[in-house]
Amino acid sequence: MEQSGEYTVSASRERVWEALNDPEVLERCVEGCRSMTVTGEGEFEAVVAAKVGPVKATFTAAIELQDVVAPESYRLQVGVKGGAAGFAKGSAAVQLAECSRDETRLTYHIEGSIGGKLAQIGSRLVQAAARKMAASFFERFAVDIGRSQGV
Amino acid sequence: MEISITVNGRSEALDVPDNALLADVLRERLGLTGTHVGCDTSQCGACVVHMDGAAVKSCTVLAGQANGAEVTTIEGIGNPDNLHPMQAAFRENHALQCGFCTPGMIMSAIDLVQKADGQLDEGDVRDGLEGNLCRCTGYHNIVKAVLAAQDDMKSA
Amino acid sequence: MANETGIGAAVKRKEDARFITGTGRYTDDIGAHGQTYAVFARSPHARAKLNGLDASAALATEGVVAVFTGADLQADGIGDLPCGWTVHSKDGEPMVVPAHPPIAVDKVNYVGEPYAVVIGESLEAAKNGAEALEADFEELPAVVDLASAASADQIHENVPNNQTYDWELGDKAATDAAFAQAHHVSSLEIVNNRLIPNAIEPRAALGEYDAASGLYTLHTTSQNPHLERLVLAAFVQIAPEARLRVISPDVGGGFGSKIFVYAEETAVIWAAGKLRRPVKWRAERSESFLADAHGRDHVTKAELALAEDGTFLGLRVKTLANMGAYLSTFASSVPTYLYGTLMAGQYKTPAIYVEVQSLFTNTAPVDAYRGAGRPEATYVVERIVETAAREMGIDAAELRRRNFIAPSDFPYETPVALTYDTGDYEASLAKALEHADYAGFGARKAASEAAGKKRGIGFSCYIEACGLAPSQVAISLGAGVGLFEVGEVRVDVTGSVTVVTGSHSHGQSHETTFAQIISEKLGVPFENVTVLHGDTGRSDYALGTYGSRSLAVGGSALIKAIDKIIAKGKKIAAHMLEAQEEQVDFADGTFTVADSNQSLTFPEVAFAAYVPANYPLEELEPGLSEKAFYDPPNFTYPAGAHICEVEIDPATGVVDITSFVAVDDFGHIVNPMIVEGQVHGGLAQGIGQALLEHGVYDETGQLVSGSYMDYTMPRADDLPSFTVDTTVTPCTHNPLGVKGCGEAGAIGSTAAVMNAVTNALGVASVPMPATPETVWRAAQA
Repeated sequence: MEQSGEYTVSASRERVWEALNDPEVLERCVEGCRSMTVTGEGEFEAVVAAKVGPVKATFTAAIELQDVVAPESYRLQVGVKGGAAGFAKGSAAVQLAECSRDETRLTYHIEGSIGGKLAQIGSRLVQAAARKMAASFFERFAVDIGRSQGV
Repeated sequence: MEISITVNGRSEALDVPDNALLADVLRERLGLTGTHVGCDTSQCGACVVHMDGAAVKSCTVLAGQANGAEVTTIEGIGNPDNLHPMQAAFRENHALQCGFCTPGMIMSAIDLVQKADGQLDEGDVRDGLEGNLCRCTGYHNIVKAVLAAQDDMKSA
Repeated sequence: MANETGIGAAVKRKEDARFITGTGRYTDDIGAHGQTYAVFARSPHARAKLNGLDASAALATEGVVAVFTGADLQADGIGDLPCGWTVHSKDGEPMVVPAHPPIAVDKVNYVGEPYAVVIGESLEAAKNGAEALEADFEELPAVVDLASAASADQIHENVPNNQTYDWELGDKAATDAAFAQAHHVSSLEIVNNRLIPNAIEPRAALGEYDAASGLYTLHTTSQNPHLERLVLAAFVQIAPEARLRVISPDVGGGFGSKIFVYAEETAVIWAAGKLRRPVKWRAERSESFLADAHGRDHVTKAELALAEDGTFLGLRVKTLANMGAYLSTFASSVPTYLYGTLMAGQYKTPAIYVEVQSLFTNTAPVDAYRGAGRPEATYVVERIVETAAREMGIDAAELRRRNFIAPSDFPYETPVALTYDTGDYEASLAKALEHADYAGFGARKAASEAAGKKRGIGFSCYIEACGLAPSQVAISLGAGVGLFEVGEVRVDVTGSVTVVTGSHSHGQSHETTFAQIISEKLGVPFENVTVLHGDTGRSDYALGTYGSRSLAVGGSALIKAIDKIIAKGKKIAAHMLEAQEEQVDFADGTFTVADSNQSLTFPEVAFAAYVPANYPLEELEPGLSEKAFYDPPNFTYPAGAHICEVEIDPATGVVDITSFVAVDDFGHIVNPMIVEGQVHGGLAQGIGQALLEHGVYDETGQLVSGSYMDYTMPRADDLPSFTVDTTVTPCTHNPLGVKGCGEAGAIGSTAAVMNAVTNALGVASVPMPATPETVWRAAQA
């Protein structure tokens, strides 16, 4: 599964970068996020309640920031272990480009895959849900930072 | 949870877990192993029984949902000395081989014929049985049997 | 008067009484007091190192009895799952075999491979335990694509190029020479799609251990319980055969997938001994998809050389066969001895050369599935013949006729190692053409065109070799088992008969057919015959049912035992009637002395054998029970003509099979009703392959067609009613003159459908399955 997108955010690149590294902001922007805990340097653990087709599930995702080039880019590595249900994993390469002093262009490219029972039975549902979640994250992020900047 | 169901004319009071499936209760608790489980996505139809007169896939019915209902399984429609016309037609037309899909197939077919009030043609039977998988017969003889049983059930 | 329950009669089945009333007894219907439940933890990765497994949380889960890993089995001396046929490469080297532990030890090689088994007091407890296992996997890149597998990452340490063998058959030089003088060469690239067998009864096992006697009993869904027992004893080392009883009760379909010895029953019977408690397992359908051996999966290049008049000069075939991650029980033989040997088809092609490279990928193991090698071979031959007919502008039926082996040519030795004993290919084609109203096809096509539809017709004149034989030849070619069968006739004191056969019925109806044979040959009323099968505790060592062998081999063993019964009965009757043995005849259940009015009924002789008052005890043992082993001298060669007619809606790509005709030659037929049923089922599977079914792995090795939501099983509304008929050339070398009928439908039909689809669309090829999308795309081109 691959997906790309682009947002123009009304905030300076530094501000966007800060937000992208702020667990509280991340928590607000992940739909259904119950908690986001810092587990190490550039490492978080997120508990997320997601609805996939007819199934509601709570899962724990391990998030790691890789290839960090502040304040320009990083890769957000996400792994979810679903036990007997299999696994989901993905990475989002995020790049920030300065458009102007208080406008930043955020582009992302997501790659993901699922395995085990998730892929066997739910691949179409899960892929669609994952796409939606990813898109919603960046959308919410763009709105969130725009709003916080506006305040 | 406590449930009471009537199975093949006999009332049963059972204490079952909330998540117990009707198919498992029939098989494990009541020993009615004629109801088979062939898949876990409610696609194969081997588990079809009648609940309050309508065909249901018992692998996707919670036992709790059957509380107060009348359930009929393959064991409840006839016996070797007094077969239901659908059972007899399956035998007469060689509509079964390994027999695993047969109980569900027969229960679906009876429901299909009853609902159609004797008006089924081959295409209707094929459409009506598309929720029941058979890997042995290629359906040819099943379709024949259902059409034959339809006539027998009319005259019965 | 013909025996109404004898050979040739469409007798209704004995087994139906229990199946239509829900009183069949399948493995999952059987329980044991105090049984535990097994749940297998299965790899979510196609290829990974298993660096560690933390079972502490699983073991702490309420109701969990035990967790066993691959290492636990190994530590207890449990051996690998073997492959029973050693195929040799071109260079004479035996195939390279990777280790195949029942439960993965330190690496996993396909999604669904078990890496632990959790035993619980209840199924739910075992599931919760499996959920709590913490496996530390280190993912590795998966090898999925067959075409590039030989140059991909090496999956097994001891298997370079992921190749188990590189096999050849036929005369390369003669074939090359044939191509050099060809007037026309047709060539075709063929992908034979992966299928998932999907017997509607999922595999299951119940293992029990009796500490007092040391006896293990395994109830399982096997087509051949003796083979299961042999492997579990000799290779896996559970216990000696004498302390291991394997019972296959009612089995809900097999289609090959229940021949093999799998990880699950192995672990279940072992764990039952370890825990001294019964252990039960039943596959969920998702597990069946992942862990039953799959079928087909070839990539092939085929070339046919023809003379100007359409005479076949040579056939060249190069095939890559997917073995999946490990060698399943008979995997190696399927794309070789059950495939290459069939490339002559029904034709006098003088030179044939076949090469097969079998490769490993990170997918479920692939093994025999209904037809096993022969559908793939038929698909190659019949697609390329049809292609050649179109390219050369010769009528497809006519081109076949010109090249048929004629009735006068039998016995016919093919260039690919088989000797066909008999056949009349022209007769079955002629009958099929008549049923299909070939003459009226043009008018029907025109009518379809007028309605905006595309109509096509396709042929498939298949040959099958079944009832694999003889043992000595097969063993010299690498088979690890014999190919005989055993049959036992136990005449009871009152003259009723109990048959014990080594053949196993999982839909084939042996309880009926074998009783018909007894009824015919011994004159015993059909209802007084009981047929027992599927239990190593009841029958002698036997090979079970696969490859359409039950009647041809198991039925022949039964005939041999019947002959012994009659011979002994004559001796007894001669004594009782004070006649010479040679004077005694036996017919219609009566022993008579020639030229006299003296006679004894079969029950009278049986009674005398067990209550030997007037009996030659000094010369003859009492009792009337005989058994025979039969090792066939050759395969049987069913053959036939399948004609499929389709109408395609180019707007939607939906293929409607408007008629399907199958005319098959199965030699003599014991029960025509049952034979027709076998053909119907085979046709459905062959048509399923052509139009619907496809086992698909994504590029990371995840099975994405892993449920009935994505794997398209043929349903009632996908199929037409079939026109089925037969011709008869009796098999020349077995006592019943019969040939196998179980696989023919699946062998012949796929090519007929695809020949019809390509004919309708006017294209050279369409990939299988020809789904509406695929056909729609082809129709746009």
